[in-house]
Amino acid sequence: MRVVELTIEEDLSAWLSAVGVGVGERLTLLRRAAFGGPLHVRSAAGGEFALNVALARSIHVRAEEDVDDTSAEPKPARESAA
Amino acid sequence: MVALLGRPNSGKSSLYNAITGGDAKVGNFPGITVDILQAELRLPDDTVATVADLPGLYSIEAVVDQATDEGVARAFLARADEAGARLLALQVIDANQLALGLRLTRELLRRGLPLLIVATQRDVLESEGRLLDRAALETALGVPVLSVSARDPATRATVAQAIGARMKSGLRHRERAVDWDPDKIARQVIRDAPGITETAQRRRLFTARADAWLLHPLLGPVLFLGLMALLFAAVFLVADPATSLMDYLVDIARGALVHRLGAGLLSSFLADGVLGGAGTVLAFMPQIVILTLAMEVLDASGYLARGAFLLDRLLRLLGLSGRSFLPLLMGHACAIPAIAATRIIRDPRERLTTILVLPLMTCSARIPTYALVLSTFFAARGAWFKASIFVGLYFTGIVSGLIGSLALRRTATKGRSLPLVLEMPPYRVPQGRVIARKGAQASWRFLRDVGTTILAVAAVLWALLTVPMPGSASHAATAARGDAAPAAAEAPIQRSIAAAVGKALEPVTAPLGFDWRINVGLIGSFGAREVMVGTMGVIFGIENASEDPSPLSERIRQAKTRAGAPAYTTRTGLALLAFFVFACQCMSTVSAIRRETKTWRWPAFVLAYTYAVAYVAALLVYQVTGLLGMA
Repeated sequence: MRVVELTIEEDLSAWLSAVGVGVGERLTLLRRAAFGGPLHVRSAAGGEFALNVALARSIHVRAEEDVDDTSAEPKPARESAA
Repeated sequence: MVALLGRPNSGKSSLYNAITGGDAKVGNFPGITVDILQAELRLPDDTVATVADLPGLYSIEAVVDQATDEGVARAFLARADEAGARLLALQVIDANQLALGLRLTRELLRRGLPLLIVATQRDVLESEGRLLDRAALETALGVPVLSVSARDPATRATVAQAIGARMKSGLRHRERAVDWDPDKIARQVIRDAPGITETAQRRRLFTARADAWLLHPLLGPVLFLGLMALLFAAVFLVADPATSLMDYLVDIARGALVHRLGAGLLSSFLADGVLGGAGTVLAFMPQIVILTLAMEVLDASGYLARGAFLLDRLLRLLGLSGRSFLPLLMGHACAIPAIAATRIIRDPRERLTTILVLPLMTCSARIPTYALVLSTFFAARGAWFKASIFVGLYFTGIVSGLIGSLALRRTATKGRSLPLVLEMPPYRVPQGRVIARKGAQASWRFLRDVGTTILAVAAVLWALLTVPMPGSASHAATAARGDAAPAAAEAPIQRSIAAAVGKALEPVTAPLGFDWRINVGLIGSFGAREVMVGTMGVIFGIENASEDPSPLSERIRQAKTRAGAPAYTTRTGLALLAFFVFACQCMSTVSAIRRETKTWRWPAFVLAYTYAVAYVAALLVYQVTGLLGMA
């Protein structure tokens, strides 16, 4: 899946991009922690990250084959990963 | 000056240790509020460069909060600019995550900083059957690049030579537009080695395979909590004998001092005040060393991040994140290393919250006092009853810490938090030398920063407990109150300033069931709560109460008021326990908070809120048990 939009404040969004989960990054969901804990994702750039659910909800992704940033409403990462 | 920059887990600490030989002192950089280690590095031309190890950071452009590591690094670079310092930015990149590291490179180049890139973990890269084309990377970036392994003894010379050459070439700022794509460059310069072996393939998959077990939804938490329990047990099994040995050595030194100087005020000051304070400092050392080493091993191996991942959901309920778990757990052994361990928490507000609630965790120093109170006031009760009270005390500490963190996140530390993006680094074998150096540095900094405060407070407490109150009427006045310890000769402590203060405080503490003797015990244990037992022993004329508290328990049970009624009841014991659960009676903790927060405001806040809560809790316990008809 590819990140198409971050619906959080601009400075946090810039920081997330620097970390490696910004718009345009390709992510693979590896697992979720128990009881609604964080999501474990791998970035195509080589890093692995834990994202808590609240944050994951503001990271909107498209399935890789559907990537088209101008297309219809993006879906939350949680839903795409499910 | 050389500023070492890099993402967290990029191998920056290992490289810093490799090139500086581990020598480090905390640099004095005006306006910078966190510890930045610095060391001197001799270059091939015999000039000396100062190397400053900046905190691990992701960006110098995206700064969410000035107190974050990114904010600190940006402030450091801005100050260097203002001072006109000749600064070389040495960026450390994990060669295995080159594309991520190059995002920061892009920012450093845009800022125009003179740059030298050191790609580390070459050994890991090669063991996984990959190669870095250093020359191609250098060409693509237009910046000198080294490819090293921090474990290689030649690394120091290689890096020093490159720094020297870069310094000679002039360190001019040259802002430039950067339009290359980090991912594309990384794909071009990292290649598979010809003929990848099966071992290399296995190594590539090691982290994923290990995570399948260690991050399993059920097995993962069990394994992590089991490991934490083992660590906790190790602190008691290893640190306790070491602490006893420290106590024994300090006692020998005190004996020798008294023998040489004879009894007197000076000898008492040196033996009880100075050496007593030194004993307190040294008693903490074994725990600090063990916990620091354990935390470094967990962090360097990559497992600490997994623990935070597993427990994040639980701590999220309390306004904290998984990263707070280890410091909170360590706080049950000793708050001082736990406060230092909060450095692993990237969010400044969450870190401050964790520091502020750590004194509520039931540290090992509370145990002697709990044991004394239980054996004194619940002697007739069975072991199970005492054990349940003990468990209840631990539980109360945890629950109050959690309620405290929830309350703080809505008041004193409220504000926006960094979103939880926890980097999950690949598993690595920690470098023993780096871990040992970090342990030594932490111990030395504790001795220097916290130790000096402890000695100063110990000297003041000695004066309060020893120096007679001017104009004290001594025995006659005490006897007239009718509440002297039975069959005990009046000790100097009863004429001390602390005794006068304790008596003056009686109207305030009487609703808690505390008389002046308990007040003196509390004054004496302001610096270290475990001193309570010894101080009460002195008041009641029992020698070596700390080693064997049974005679002291008996004497406390027999104590009478002027009217002949028992001076203390079960209610007093319960109120005293409630007081000890909450009060931050530990100058070492106060000093450690000062050291980490760089201000006296937060230590003062901790003292104020813990003592206020302790007072109210003891008051409630004493009064409510009275209303319920408890004897």
